[in-house]
Amino acid sequence: MLYEYDAGVEKSRPGAVVFPQNTDQVSRVLRLAHEKKVPVVPRGAGTGLSGGAIARKEAIVLSLSRMNRILEIDIPNQRAVVQPGVVNLELSNATAPFGFYYAPDPSSQKACTIGGNVAENSGGPHTLALGVTANHVTGLEVVLPDGRIMELGGKAQDSCGLDLTGFFVGSEGTLGIATRITVRLTRLPESVATLLGIFNTVQDAANTVVAITQSGITPAALEMLDGWLLRTIEAAVHAGYPLDSGAVLLIELEGMKETVEEQAEAVRLACMQQKAREVRRAKTEQERQLLWLGRKTAFGAIGRISSSYYTQDGVIPRTKIPETLAEIERVAQKYGLQIGNVFHAGDGNLHPLILFDGRDPQKTANSRLAGKEIMSYCLSVGGSITGEHGVGSEKMNLMPLMFTDDDLAVMMRLRNAFNPDSILNPQKVLPETHMCREITGPLPQAKVEPAPGVHL
Amino acid sequence: MSTVVTTNAIERDLASIAGEAWVSQGRFEINGIPAAYTVSPGSVDEVAAIMRFAHDRELVVAPAGELTKQQVGGVPERVDILLSTRRLNHVEHYDPGDLTIGVGAGIHFAEMQRKLAEHQQWIPFDAPNLNTATVGGLLATASLGPLKSGFGGMRDFCIGIQFVTAEGRIAKGGGRVVKNVAGYDLMKLMIGSYGSLAVITRANFKVFPATRQTRTFVCSFPSLTEAMAFRDSILKSPLTPICLEIISPRAPEYLCEPPTAHDPDEYVPSQPIGRLSNDWHVVLRASGSDNVLARYRRELGPAVARELEGRAEDQYWSWVSHFEYSILQRHRNAMVIHSHVAIQNTGAAIQALERVAPDYNFIPAMLGRAATGNLVMGFVPLSVDPPSAMQYANCASAFRALLPAGSSAMVRHCPKEAKGHFDVWGSSPTDLAMMRAVKRAMDPKNILNRGRFIV
Repeated sequence: MLYEYDAGVEKSRPGAVVFPQNTDQVSRVLRLAHEKKVPVVPRGAGTGLSGGAIARKEAIVLSLSRMNRILEIDIPNQRAVVQPGVVNLELSNATAPFGFYYAPDPSSQKACTIGGNVAENSGGPHTLALGVTANHVTGLEVVLPDGRIMELGGKAQDSCGLDLTGFFVGSEGTLGIATRITVRLTRLPESVATLLGIFNTVQDAANTVVAITQSGITPAALEMLDGWLLRTIEAAVHAGYPLDSGAVLLIELEGMKETVEEQAEAVRLACMQQKAREVRRAKTEQERQLLWLGRKTAFGAIGRISSSYYTQDGVIPRTKIPETLAEIERVAQKYGLQIGNVFHAGDGNLHPLILFDGRDPQKTANSRLAGKEIMSYCLSVGGSITGEHGVGSEKMNLMPLMFTDDDLAVMMRLRNAFNPDSILNPQKVLPETHMCREITGPLPQAKVEPAPGVHL
Repeated sequence: MSTVVTTNAIERDLASIAGEAWVSQGRFEINGIPAAYTVSPGSVDEVAAIMRFAHDRELVVAPAGELTKQQVGGVPERVDILLSTRRLNHVEHYDPGDLTIGVGAGIHFAEMQRKLAEHQQWIPFDAPNLNTATVGGLLATASLGPLKSGFGGMRDFCIGIQFVTAEGRIAKGGGRVVKNVAGYDLMKLMIGSYGSLAVITRANFKVFPATRQTRTFVCSFPSLTEAMAFRDSILKSPLTPICLEIISPRAPEYLCEPPTAHDPDEYVPSQPIGRLSNDWHVVLRASGSDNVLARYRRELGPAVARELEGRAEDQYWSWVSHFEYSILQRHRNAMVIHSHVAIQNTGAAIQALERVAPDYNFIPAMLGRAATGNLVMGFVPLSVDPPSAMQYANCASAFRALLPAGSSAMVRHCPKEAKGHFDVWGSSPTDLAMMRAVKRAMDPKNILNRGRFIV
């Protein structure tokens, strides 16, 4: 059954699924659930990668998929007001004729919803320069777990009092359900340059990332694919990536045409100085789309060759990319696993893809151990367990590796201020108290059979 | 007698935590209410110990930095302890390659900025008083300046925060990396909480490569309507200025060195009144190569009245940042309202100021971020017939009543005598109940800045 899954690793069958059509119905469902103490799990498109929308059998899944209308496009104020079920890319498509778009672009943007993006504080390749969802949401109508309806913020970028809008974004459906979302619209850039830097080694590519970010240029996107992965992608989609290279960087620059031209030249030089073999620049929109095709279909390409894989979302300081990749390679060899690397290099957000045979219990166990070692390494260099996928249920047990009991206690109290009985999206994000100390708790499970058509 | 004993006991206990040299009596007032003790702990652990002590005894604590904004907000019921974070002023880590920095809350912003400048980096942030304002204070008050238009504010730069709760727990949110969604976004909650939820002790920021070359274009218009139409044309154009200000006809008076100091109430304008211009200004600051700046000049065309660069340009923008304090230096009884409005409500908010101020014996002078709707509204009292305390309250209410729906208007400065007559924070936001629930969760005994903030 569809509602047993998201795009992550876990599954569970909920007791019921409801499809409210408006705020009032959401409020009534929550009020009833609050009275009867029935857990409710909100759900958008189910493209999440951390098990945030997974519901246990006693729970009601509240699907926002029918609340999918764009309520207002307000170009003079650079805002749009949408219902939570609006698909991310549809909003950008609807505003493009006016010369605007919605900047956060998760790779699942053809399917994922703005409501889900708000819950996860989603990122995407193009959030390097423009910021993640939290930087683009100015107002929310939310329904609290007891059914109360509340307005946070609005069309103005700032307001008086506590920034509950900012606090709500990224709370993974544990504080309330957003039923109307006011977002900033961004002017489409006058000019875009897309470059592909081709390197013999991952180290050279990683050094280039540091050189570019330090040079005074913040690209709109700065993505890295390692050699093994780009060969796998090339076999699937023929994006034109050179088969014998060690790594490629996909770099996009946006803005005024004068600025973009100057930066494109500076980026090209930076690549060459770091021993790039070649730097290609897309000459047409078609060539640009082709360069991005490989990046955006990386996960589908993996699905062709491996029955099982799971992806991580660790973040490291940018300068630690070379040694972290070396560590990932070491871990892969230690456990006899293939690990591919595709990631948002510009902000140090890694997505190692750990491939294994899900029918082999030993390999499955090894993949988990490998994942844990990689994550521990990320944290040891000052990183985070998740850059954009969220904690959900999958990484809940890793939270104590990043946060102390006191940190978690403060978060727990804040959750209880909104969601005192934890009726709404229970057992997500925050480990229960007794688990705070249990840092060797169960490992994230392996993903078996990636959902078709869902890309990271 | 017993009071004296208790009082001495408090001083002794504070001294046992932070050391005798760092505890003092009185000396500072918040809107006329003296703080009984000032304590300057030297470590986060000492802050925690002080908060545990205060919590046990239900002593009211006012977290403080360099006191540049302590008079903002309501009149406190009482202040038992002014807790200064001034000694938590270290750079905890700075990784130029990663473009991140972590500092103690008590560091002066300008000092952090100087550190970053050694590596040609900066945080694009220009709130007033950065030479003395502390990082903790700037976060707590959600301060901002003209660069907000191009780069955003504290909520966009702060990637991690450490604080001490009312009960004396040391806690944190976020981390040291530029992208991170693990756990709740406690940075957003602390920024703009005016010390009402916790004592901020440390913060991590993402930093940026410094801009190499900038240029400022001052454009002049005979009416507000024309100025706003020009602003709209900029917002529609491909230009991406790092600052975009609207400046009212009376504001330039405060964008220059103050005249020789004498009694502020006898301030005389540097120019004769008759010569004041009625022009509205839209001022752009652009950053980029010669080519990029030439493009700006081309596109802006004849609207440009003058251009600024180099030291004159920096000086100009520092005056723009400092605008509200320039008003207060010259008229200590002035009222300043910070108004946040939707982009298209900028014009209506300015008209509200221009319309209301004279009715209550004020002269209007304003400037603000025309691209993001963050406006600094100055109400300068007439020297011949100054407004009464009630007139401040009535003027603020009348101004708020004229603002379009969805706007906010917070009175940043006014004489403390006027604060008894109205709520400086303005009409209740729709989510006030939730804000109060958050306050109760964080500070159940209400010992942090009791009575001063909206919650």
